[in-house]
Amino acid sequence: MAGYSFTRRRAILLLSLTSVLLITLDLRGSSLVNFTRSAFGVVFRPIESATRVVTRPVQNTWNGITKYNDVLEENRRLRDLVAYDEGATVAAIASVREAQELLALNGLPTLAGISSCTAQVVGQSPSNFAQTVELNRGSECGIKVGMPVLNAAGMIGKVTDVYSKRAVVMLITDPGYSLSVKVVNTPPTTTTTTVPGDPNASTTTTTTTTTTTTTTIPRTTTTTIKGFKPGATIAPSTTQPSSSGSSTPTGTVGPNQPGQNDNSPITVPPGVDLPLRETGALEGRGLSKNPIIRFIENQPRFGSVAVGSPIISAGGATSLAPPDIVVGTVSRVVKRTGTLGPILEVKLSANLNSLNFVRVLLYQPITERPATP
Amino acid sequence: MIERLIVLAEARYTRLVLVGLLFLSLQTTIFNEMRPFGVCLQVMLLLAASSGLAKGSQTGAIAGFIIGLLYDMVLTTPMGLCAAVFAVVGYLAGFVHTFVHESTWWSRMLAALGVSAIGMIMLPVAFTITGADGVLTTNVFLVAFIVALFNAALSLPAEWLCNWAIRDESAVR
Repeated sequence: MAGYSFTRRRAILLLSLTSVLLITLDLRGSSLVNFTRSAFGVVFRPIESATRVVTRPVQNTWNGITKYNDVLEENRRLRDLVAYDEGATVAAIASVREAQELLALNGLPTLAGISSCTAQVVGQSPSNFAQTVELNRGSECGIKVGMPVLNAAGMIGKVTDVYSKRAVVMLITDPGYSLSVKVVNTPPTTTTTTVPGDPNASTTTTTTTTTTTTTTIPRTTTTTIKGFKPGATIAPSTTQPSSSGSSTPTGTVGPNQPGQNDNSPITVPPGVDLPLRETGALEGRGLSKNPIIRFIENQPRFGSVAVGSPIISAGGATSLAPPDIVVGTVSRVVKRTGTLGPILEVKLSANLNSLNFVRVLLYQPITERPATP
Repeated sequence: MIERLIVLAEARYTRLVLVGLLFLSLQTTIFNEMRPFGVCLQVMLLLAASSGLAKGSQTGAIAGFIIGLLYDMVLTTPMGLCAAVFAVVGYLAGFVHTFVHESTWWSRMLAALGVSAIGMIMLPVAFTITGADGVLTTNVFLVAFIVALFNAALSLPAEWLCNWAIRDESAVR
C-alpha cells in the first residue's frame, strides 16, 4: 500500500511538473512547442477531414432541426438586402475608385495597393473560451503572424498562428485584441448664405443643418433660393465697422479691400463640411459583448458622437491594420464625467458567427514583425 | 521489430491515444458545430472523467493528462493547460468514486456530472491564471451546467469505452 501510494504521488508530481514545464515553454514562445503543434496538425488533419465527411449528415440533420426557421428568415432578409445593395454598389464602386485615385495622387496609402490572400474559414475553436477561427491557407500564401483579416463586410481579426497550409485568426471580439480606430463623426454644421441681388433678402440667412436619417447616412438639406448656385456659398454679411465709424452696405461684389466688409463672393470648398474624425482604441470583450472604444478625447470641436457613426481603422506606423478598413458603427455612447471622453460600444459590420470567405491583407504591422537580433 | 510494434500497439496508453484522437476529431467537427444553447460540448473532458471512473484516480490522472495534451495540440491556449486540468478531472473522478460503497449507474453519472462541472469551471480559471482576459464571466456556469449534463448522459458508454481502452495488457493477451 505504501509503495502504491508512493507511485501514485510520484505520478501526480510528474504530471504536475510536466504541465508547468509545458505551460512555461509555451508562454515563453518556445519553437519546440510550435513545431510539435505544427507536426500534430499535419498528422491530425486527415483524421479530422475523414471524420468531417462521416459526420456531415449528422451535422446537417442537426442544423436542419435547429436552424431551419432562422435560415428561412435570413434568406428572406438577404434577398431584400441584395436588392437594396445592388443599387448602392454601383455608386459605391465609383466613389471608391475616385477616392483611391485621390489618395494615390496625394501619395497616401490605400487598401488597393496591398496584396491579399483569399482564404476560407474551415473551423472555429472547439473551446468555449477562445475566439479564434481557422483558415485553409497559411504561409504558402504569404500569410504571416499579425496580418489583418477582413471579409466583405469589414475587419474580423488578425492572424495569430501560421502553419504551411492553415492559419489561426484571433477574432476582433477577443479580449486580447486591440486596434487603433477612427470614429467618423458628423457634427451639426451651420452655413449662413447671403443671396445677392435680392433687395428683400439682402440679409436673408439660410441655415442648413446636417441631419441624420434612420439609415444613419448624414444628409444635408438643400434649400432652393433664387440666384443661389449650388456649391458656391457667399460669405456671411457680417458688417465690419470702418475706420470712420460707418458701416458699408452689403451687396457690393468685388475683392476685399482693407477696412471693407467681406461680402465678396467666396466659393467655400465642400471640404469644409467633411466629417470630423477622432482616434481611439478598440478593444474586444468576448463574443457575448460588443467591443468598445476607449480614449476618445472629449473635444468640443469633435462634438458629441452620434449612434450609427462609422468606425474605420486608423492606420499609422504602429497600427495592426492599414487605414480605412471598415470596422463597424457606434451602437451606444457611454458618457463619462469630467475630461474623460466617452466610451463607445461598437456594432461590428462583419457577422462573426457566419464567416466563410475572408481576405488576409499581406500587410505585417511593424509591431508584429519578429525582432531582428 | 514487428513484435515490438504489436507490443506497442497493445499498450493501454497507445489505445487511449487512438481513442483520444478519434474523440478529438469528433470534438473539432461535429461537436464544434452542434452547440446547444450556444455551448460547445466537451467530449474530451468526458473521456478524461470516464477514464477516472473506469480505472481509478491514478490511471484517471494519467489518462486525463494524455487526453488534455491531445486537446492542447488543437487549441491556442498554452500547451499543458488542458492537460493539467483534465488530469485533475481524471483524478477527481476516480477519487470521488472510491467513496461510493456499491456503485450504481446513477452514482457514476452523478460523479461524471460533478467532475465535469468542476473541470469546466477550472478551465477558465486556469486560462485567467495564465494571462487570458475576459473568460471568467457568469457564462462559465451555464457552460459548466450544459457540459456536465451532456457528459453525465454519455458517461456510461464512455466509461465502457475507457474500460476497453485502458484495460491491462495481460487481459489483452
